[in-house]
Amino acid sequence: MEDKCDKLDTCDNCPRRSWLFRMLVGMNLATVASLLYPVLRFLKPRRSTSSGAFQVVAPLRVNQLRPDEEGNWPAPFEFAGKPCILVRTLDGEVKAFNAVCTHTDCTVKFRPQEGDIYCSCHGGVYDINGRNVAGPPPRPLESFKVNLRGKPGQEEIIVSRA
Amino acid sequence: MSHAPEESAVSPARTEGIQKFFHERLGLEVLAGLAAKKLVPIHRSTHFYFLGGMALFLFIVQIISGVLLSLYYKPSPDQAFESVQAFMTEVDFGWLIRSVHSWAANLLIGILFLHLLTAYMMRAYHRPRELTWVSGILLLLLFMAFGFSGYLLPWNQLAFFATRVGTALVGVVPVVGPDLLLLARGGENVTGDTLSRFYALHVAILPLLTLGMLGFHLFMVQQHGMSIPERDLRRYGGRQQIPTMPFVPDFLLRDAVGWYLALGLLAALAALFPWELGEKADPFGSAPEGIKPEWYFLFMFQALKQLPGHILGMEGEMLGTLFFGGVGLVVLVVPFLDRGPRSRHVLNILATAAVLFFIVMTAWGYFDKNSLRLILGASLSLGSLALTIPFTNRGTRSRSVLWLLGTLAFCLLMVGLLWELTL
Ligand code: FES
Repeated sequence: MEDKCDKLDTCDNCPRRSWLFRMLVGMNLATVASLLYPVLRFLKPRRSTSSGAFQVVAPLRVNQLRPDEEGNWPAPFEFAGKPCILVRTLDGEVKAFNAVCTHTDCTVKFRPQEGDIYCSCHGGVYDINGRNVAGPPPRPLESFKVNLRGKPGQEEIIVSRA
Repeated sequence: MSHAPEESAVSPARTEGIQKFFHERLGLEVLAGLAAKKLVPIHRSTHFYFLGGMALFLFIVQIISGVLLSLYYKPSPDQAFESVQAFMTEVDFGWLIRSVHSWAANLLIGILFLHLLTAYMMRAYHRPRELTWVSGILLLLLFMAFGFSGYLLPWNQLAFFATRVGTALVGVVPVVGPDLLLLARGGENVTGDTLSRFYALHVAILPLLTLGMLGFHLFMVQQHGMSIPERDLRRYGGRQQIPTMPFVPDFLLRDAVGWYLALGLLAALAALFPWELGEKADPFGSAPEGIKPEWYFLFMFQALKQLPGHILGMEGEMLGTLFFGGVGLVVLVVPFLDRGPRSRHVLNILATAAVLFFIVMTAWGYFDKNSLRLILGASLSLGSLALTIPFTNRGTRSRSVLWLLGTLAFCLLMVGLLWELTL
């Protein structure tokens, strides 16, 4: 009766065959998995190349923190792989924020006239303390600690993670 | 005793010999048999059958122009923008090839939208064509992915921020979002690694997937023949009674006319409105004013703009992303949701709402001036209403509703035009 087991899918009553068949399937699955694993790991990005710097000396000094002739505020600079924006309040206090909008990752800008921080992607507005006050942003901007160093009036600005 | 008659007697025999050679080896009679048997039904919406062919034509244009562009393009943040700028200005017809590629991409998506809409209205997805529909939707998604990945390649400001926003939306998907974001960007931020990934996606992964899916889609069409709208079937009293024309050559020649039209439109657009390059991306600068995605993503962009930061304790953009994902899923499984007149009625209402939403959001997001928004919205509405004409009968209530809506859209268009001209 064993001779009737000549097809792989009809070998229910043929233990040796079905065992071999299961082994075959299992081995093939194992092969696929062992091929897939390195591929998946390969797809995972490498560690970020930008430094995870803890602090940075801003490329501008306090006296350079003012709008240019066209009324544009100095552009953000890089801090630990992210854009960092510096603002100055009316009473001269300097603040630093991660300029990545908490909505969908655009880069915000400071509007000295309005005294707010604005994101032109979907019109999100933050106040000068980085609090989201209008438009779609769901959270306030991440703020950094600011230390000033040097001659009063033209101090260096040192930005660090709080 | 001239040789001429002899020679002319030889050459047909030789061509016959060549024909026989290939026939024997390639089995061409199978194809010839298929071509001879393929018939295209003639009814009131036959012209909608041309849309698929036109999309196919534009896809071929994309392959050719894309391969040409790849000869000069360099996918790295330091060189991408410069290489595009260089071939646009220094290589003969470089600007034209790029312009053709960009315009054809946009036309292709537009035609696919029409193809989708008309296939829905003809109910071309009903049994046994469910998988034709599903593969069609997947193709549309693949082409949108083509558009999204290709947008970044010139590495300009607009593209850079559009990619930041687009990939951030992937990141808000619950649970798997953060991993998907890393996968899409090749890191936490949009960098040169993102550019490499998008390049590989655009020129290798998506083309392979698309060719496979397209092969399946066409095979399905071949397998089941053209779908005929029910009302036409009823009018003629069955599939057998409907008049047909042979696919080769009658329909193919008409197809060719469509391709010529598409080519003409494409050439005119590409030459008269060369695609702009913009400014080079500045990864740490602020986003410039007027950031906008391509028009076919505009409806999502505009909706996203309106959502507040929090809705029902959820972040607005997460809700938006989940909503659009859900809509996409519903569209994908439409053939399985249509299970009779009741569900069809619900589907029709949803489809109308979706088209209306698309029109309103697109018109709203495209222009800053209300008059222009009105003009665009009204024209798009008129266009969509025109598509439904073959599906209503003269003298019925639905035709009167159509007329009413059409007149309304027309009046709105006139108001818009007057407004625009007087102000
Ligand atoms: S990304 Fe800033 S408002 Fe949307």
